[in-house]
Amino acid sequence: MLFFSFFKTLIDHEVTVELKNDIQIRGVLKSVDQYLNIKLDNIQVLEEIKYPHMSAVKNVFIRGSVVRYVHLPANAVDVPLLEDATRREAANQAGKGK
Amino acid sequence: MAEPRDETSGTVSEPLDLVRLLLDEVVCVKLRGDRELKGRLHAYDSHCNLVLGDVEETIYVVDEEDEEDVKTISKKSEMLFVRGDSVVLISPQTVSF
Amino acid sequence: MSFFGFDTSRHNPAATGFSQAHNPFAGLSNREDEGDALEFEDTYDGLGDQLDETGDAFNDDTFGDTTVFESKPVGKDFDFFNTTAKVANAIEEEHVRFTRQQPTARSSQTVPQAAAPAAFQHHAPGSSSYGHYSQLPPSKPARTGYEKYSSEPVAELQVDAALWGVAPKKQTQAAVPSASPAPMAAAPARKILSLEEVEAQMRAQAKKTSQQATPSPAPPVAAVPSGSQTQVPPMHYDQAYQFAQHGQPAQHADTTGHDQGAPAGHGHPITILQRPTSKPAASPQPPTQPAAHARQQPSGPIHPTQILQNPNRLSGDAARVGMHQQSPHGSYPGHPIHRQQGSFSQQPQIITHPSQLSQLNEEEKAAYLDQEAKRAKRNHKIFLMSRDNGIMTPQDKSFVTRIQLQQLVAATGNPNEHGTDESLTEDFYYQVHSQIQGSQRQNPNQPLNNFAQTYLYQTGSRQGGMRRHHRGPENHMQRMEQQVQRAVEAAKNKPKNKQLVIEGSLGKISFSNAKTPKPLLNIKRAENPTEAHRPSSAHRHIDHVGDRKSDLRSIESIYTTLMKMEDHDRVMPPPPANDADTEAIQTFVAWNSEAQILNNQLWESLRIHDHPDNGVVHPFIILLSYTKGMKAMQRVSRHLTHEQRTTILTLILVNLDSLDVVRGAQVTPDSPQPNAAMRENVELFIVAVMSTLFNILNELDLDLVAGMLGLVCSRNVDVIAKSRVGASMLTMILSRAEIIKHGGGGSEQAWHSWDVTHTQFFDLIEPSLPHTFPGPVTTSDDIYVWQLLAALGIGASPDQQQRLVLAVKDRVMDTVALSKTLPQDLAAQRLQNVNLFMRSIGLDVELLQ
Repeated sequence: MLFFSFFKTLIDHEVTVELKNDIQIRGVLKSVDQYLNIKLDNIQVLEEIKYPHMSAVKNVFIRGSVVRYVHLPANAVDVPLLEDATRREAANQAGKGK
Repeated sequence: MAEPRDETSGTVSEPLDLVRLLLDEVVCVKLRGDRELKGRLHAYDSHCNLVLGDVEETIYVVDEEDEEDVKTISKKSEMLFVRGDSVVLISPQTVSF
Repeated sequence: MSFFGFDTSRHNPAATGFSQAHNPFAGLSNREDEGDALEFEDTYDGLGDQLDETGDAFNDDTFGDTTVFESKPVGKDFDFFNTTAKVANAIEEEHVRFTRQQPTARSSQTVPQAAAPAAFQHHAPGSSSYGHYSQLPPSKPARTGYEKYSSEPVAELQVDAALWGVAPKKQTQAAVPSASPAPMAAAPARKILSLEEVEAQMRAQAKKTSQQATPSPAPPVAAVPSGSQTQVPPMHYDQAYQFAQHGQPAQHADTTGHDQGAPAGHGHPITILQRPTSKPAASPQPPTQPAAHARQQPSGPIHPTQILQNPNRLSGDAARVGMHQQSPHGSYPGHPIHRQQGSFSQQPQIITHPSQLSQLNEEEKAAYLDQEAKRAKRNHKIFLMSRDNGIMTPQDKSFVTRIQLQQLVAATGNPNEHGTDESLTEDFYYQVHSQIQGSQRQNPNQPLNNFAQTYLYQTGSRQGGMRRHHRGPENHMQRMEQQVQRAVEAAKNKPKNKQLVIEGSLGKISFSNAKTPKPLLNIKRAENPTEAHRPSSAHRHIDHVGDRKSDLRSIESIYTTLMKMEDHDRVMPPPPANDADTEAIQTFVAWNSEAQILNNQLWESLRIHDHPDNGVVHPFIILLSYTKGMKAMQRVSRHLTHEQRTTILTLILVNLDSLDVVRGAQVTPDSPQPNAAMRENVELFIVAVMSTLFNILNELDLDLVAGMLGLVCSRNVDVIAKSRVGASMLTMILSRAEIIKHGGGGSEQAWHSWDVTHTQFFDLIEPSLPHTFPGPVTTSDDIYVWQLLAALGIGASPDQQQRLVLAVKDRVMDTVALSKTLPQDLAAQRLQNVNLFMRSIGLDVELLQ
């Protein structure tokens, strides 16, 4: 749940989602679920000339599994907190394993 | 130098525990599709989903005509989430000052 | 038997008929002889004989106040089984759903119009008296249905004769229009009725009724005691379906319905269907009622069937829709037959008279049967679907909805439940992040506040991280600057450096004289240890790389312990209010001992008391070469005692020249800047570690501060001074002493030892001073050097001040010269930095301009 938790804090921030088919979509993160499916508003496809079929689309739902990267606004990420959250997640996982 | 003490850190029993040691360290991540990332590891989970800071991405592109010729494309990103299913390996980047 | 030409022997008894699931009277029906010429008496179950026809007085008890019927149409909520009311909504829904589905079904039927014309011409005459027949043409028999039909077993569309109850037998009596089939025939129609259609039919019906005086027979039968209705409604339902499947009864409905009128009284569809409205209908014709009764008794066998025709909850849903449309013909408010007949007329190829069927050729017959089959199937489907209608009441549904909502909330996190341990473990980042961001979710009572504090404490690194903490060092620098400034201000008030002020401008000083042998010697002294140190540092570096993994493990264990301690802090019990509260005391003691254990654990993991071999850097100092090691410092110091913190400061000072950020970040006016990674580390160290040390140092008394300076003197001061971190550390110590002095603190003896140490230190650092500036004079980022010089100048004797001026006068002059070429604000900034030092020795850059 770490990344679900993480992405929830990025709602209403602008992110750029890079899909596994190389399409990059920039938009405002509207919602995310535990599978890290993503909903973006006000989207804009980078390299629009290359992918003209998306030009009319204004918002998208992206299945989490097709995502390669999400480029995030660095100033919206609390790095020390995120690292601690990761440590906690790791501890929880280890705890569950035992 | 004294021996490392494990009583508080616990023994490294799982591969991901090694990844934990790399938190807040510069790591190299090899991805599917001939891609490599170098950046500071800020988060990971059991699926190898990652968040990297100050990332440099290198994509190796084989020239279609001349297969010997491998070009590289470099991209940078301040903060990057990487979905785990693309990750092949995570390795420590030895930093030399 | 095979009135339709069906081979009824082939019909599939296993095929689910509409009546199978529901007909509680199926057994009764099955009991009947299936002979072709079934006598009515044989089909009659005799239930009617058992009716208590005199108990009308209690009707009100059973049905509620019947007087409402006078003013209102018959209600749709006859509560025959005490269940009608419960499922009323469901029935309504079902009907709406069905009518919605109608268009599709209908359109498929209307496609093959070619087949129909003949049949319709046929029907037209008989139907002419009913205006609604004009509506038939659009819905003609489907020719396409033929092929499908032929591919399907005929049996499938035949329902077990037994299940039909009396129907099959009646068919054989087609010539003698029996009462029951007709109304039953109407029933199927209701399934195919859309609102619009009903409306249209109602209008047609209204016309029709105005044309004929038909319903005279109706009132008599309408008088049948309602008590009987309560006993047999299901039968009606089933039979209605049965007839629907046959279509046969429809003929009766139409032909007998109006042509035969009174003679059909014993089972006349209209009469039967009118019964629910008996009261309004009866009033115009009171005399006929007794007659009707009289007639009915003999014709008893029909009587149950009639009862079954009553609109009730089963046929009622369709009827109900029609009911709203009924106003046009007020004489039959809620009269089922109109609705049902009307809807019935909508059916594509309803054979309205047995004779019509016989007139059809084989093809048409087949088409007709196909349609019937389709309808039966559809009806069956609907029936299957509707079987579960009403299983859940609206309350049940809303209950389930609430459960689902709860689950959703549980999955996504209820804002009201923030701060619980479960949600924390699963959702730590979001929860704490929300707290820190001060969102509206904030609730002062939440235990989360502790976490928010933890992460807010790390102001510098939080806001900056690696690439954004410019604000951090700024803040720190500002604090340093303030401290130095305060020290300078304090020093200015003392007249001790008057002579220098009198000596005035630097221009008058003969700088050639300033190159005394002493500084040169000092420089030599400084260089030697530097060179001596380098091999060992290289050696250490190798060690360091080799044990990287164990270093990282140590740091992670520190974090593990830290998080444990922070969690432990959250559960801190309130200190016992008084000695009597033993339980509180016990809790508190237990908590304290646990905290102590954790503290020991943390202290152990810091490895402060390790004693490394010669030439190997202390493990704690190594931890500070990792970014996360530095970042941990702030949090660590919060959980340590004063003694532990002082120990850490001591350890760092003792190893100051071994620190990565000191040894690895040497800058001189001639050397290149350290690489980007090291610069980042230096920044981080200043933000994450220096500020912590600054706080620790500010807790210390003069004798300890003097001791710290003494420790530094035992190290390689030149290396320390040539790094930003080292120079800042020195400034910290020196300015702390000045602050203490200004505050009047410190004993005589402490001051004496401080002076001794300071003198020793000054001698050590003096030769390095000209080389401490980072880069050439154009480098603007040299404020920390001026701060160090200022801190030195304040506490310096006049002689030392002179030596200071001599050591850095080139830099001073160059900076002043440079500032004249710079934009005003930049120039002012540079001069201000220089002035920091100048003022500490009683001078001012303005004197040089």
